[in-house]
Amino acid sequence: MHLLEVENLMKSFGGLTAVKNVSFTVDEGEMIGIIGPNGAGKTTLFNLITGYLKADSGTIKFRGEKITRLPPHKIANKGLARTFQIVRPFRHLPTIANIMVALNSPRGKKKIEWIKTPERKAMEMLEDVGLSEMMLEPAENLSHGDLKRLEIARALALEPDLLLLDEPFGGLSPIETEYMVKSIQRMHLDGHTIVIVEHKLHALMRLVKRVIVMHNGEKIAEGTPEEIAKNDTVIEVYLGKGI
Amino acid sequence: MVKKYFRNIYLSFLVHVFDIPPRFLAFLMLIIFLLLPITGLTESILIMLITANLFAIYGASWDLLVGRTGQISLGHALFFGIGGYTTALLYVNLQLEPWASVSIAALIGFLVAGVIGFPCLRVKGPYLALVTMAFPLIMMGLVYYFKDITGGEYGISGIPRFFPFLGYFQQRLAEYYFTLVLMLISSIIIYKIANSKTGIVFVSILDDELASKASGINVTKYKIMAFAISGLFTSLAGAAYAHIFRSVSASSFTLSMSFIPVIMTIFGGIGTIYGPISAAYILQVLDRYVLSVRIPVSTEWRNIIYAAIVIILILKWPRGIARIVVDKLEDIEEARPVEIVYKKMKKKEESSGGSINAPS
Repeated sequence: MHLLEVENLMKSFGGLTAVKNVSFTVDEGEMIGIIGPNGAGKTTLFNLITGYLKADSGTIKFRGEKITRLPPHKIANKGLARTFQIVRPFRHLPTIANIMVALNSPRGKKKIEWIKTPERKAMEMLEDVGLSEMMLEPAENLSHGDLKRLEIARALALEPDLLLLDEPFGGLSPIETEYMVKSIQRMHLDGHTIVIVEHKLHALMRLVKRVIVMHNGEKIAEGTPEEIAKNDTVIEVYLGKGI
Repeated sequence: MVKKYFRNIYLSFLVHVFDIPPRFLAFLMLIIFLLLPITGLTESILIMLITANLFAIYGASWDLLVGRTGQISLGHALFFGIGGYTTALLYVNLQLEPWASVSIAALIGFLVAGVIGFPCLRVKGPYLALVTMAFPLIMMGLVYYFKDITGGEYGISGIPRFFPFLGYFQQRLAEYYFTLVLMLISSIIIYKIANSKTGIVFVSILDDELASKASGINVTKYKIMAFAISGLFTSLAGAAYAHIFRSVSASSFTLSMSFIPVIMTIFGGIGTIYGPISAAYILQVLDRYVLSVRIPVSTEWRNIIYAAIVIILILKWPRGIARIVVDKLEDIEEARPVEIVYKKMKKKEESSGGSINAPS
């Protein structure tokens, strides 16, 4: 049984078909990337999987269970956490309280080890992403890079079975990107299953074992990073037709 | 054993109240409020303070919903009025004691707010504000329509006082202390909720609903919870208000009634809980004492001057008066009472020559 199964997913906004017949699977322990030019429908695909948008047709199964029509918070509680392309912190709350929100959800509560208090666990989550110094600082005072990491820590607080990262390197400096690559690698080693949507191919290709390429809402290729780099359709989509 | 227990209380008081300037200020105000009647207040001033006590509950409960959860309600008069009418009708039909009817009124407010919250939460932001604004108006129509039950535009009068067995002035005094205690208990509960884990989730909904959902929070559940808690305390205040003034009428559903907590909260500092509470007293004193007893002006002028002062102060301190004061107090390190005492002790030691950190 696959961890996540997406079958013939369709979504259109008015006349525009944002996601067209997309099917793919994710297995436990995998790390896969989804790439594609702007407007390829990657974020829409994420929003469909996590319940923010309702699919026109097609099914999404998580651990063999259909989650197509569930509201976002129920999907999150099933163990499918996500981050956002544009950071969405709780600006008025201290950094540590941002994590506490996730620890207050049914799944977050359940996943706290009996020996720990929620505060202790939140502190540890912040230490993992290197934000423990900013613990009591309101999230609005954090830099963009810090917010990106906070976003990931908040998703991890749910101890998800599958983590969907929407452009984790977006807007980061080369050094911050390097740090992020390292921490994603470490998360993967810790046993997290991860799906990454990304523009920065250079960083992504080093990370993942399998890549899905989308264009105009369709899945046009799937394979290892090496295969994708040689794939003619993909090159055409990114660079235009050869003469 | 007993001595140790009291010593612990005293020490925790020193650390948790005495050493934190805003709390110390609140504590000082409490002492002043407890001792105020000793100074020989007239009845009208007592009534003013009683009103302020109840409006403080009203404002704090509105702030929990709007300042903390971000669900703008411009129709809180609905719950205030429902509290009053419930307790009045319970007395007229069942001759219930004030204590019982006020508690039932608070419970009814809790339920009504929960039920109303449900359809309201389909809309957001300004639309929610407009929808909530309509509810008290609908209720006012119902009150006029069911004249036999509600008394129509005359309302219901002759609601019993809380302490009918006391003398005339003693009643006012007892009511003052009763409402003060009611205000203290309610505002402590509201403050505790606002700063609990549930309160953190409330603020997360205010900041970003989508991200809240992504964190596995059932946003609808928490919004209804905020509505219901807010409705409970507003109804409580409304019911007590009806017993103090011995009557309810359809005027409790008017727009101006809905805007009372809005003005208080913005004036005192939105999202602080202590803001509307302190604003309740400041504005009541300004309106009913300074502009009517100290500087007697005609009612029309009073309203204009009052509105002008409020607008100027809000423009000057858009973050709220109470918040500014608390921020200032927290900034001044020397203002910490323990620090002052400590410095005095140190000075004494130095002057007597027995300094601990003697310069080497």
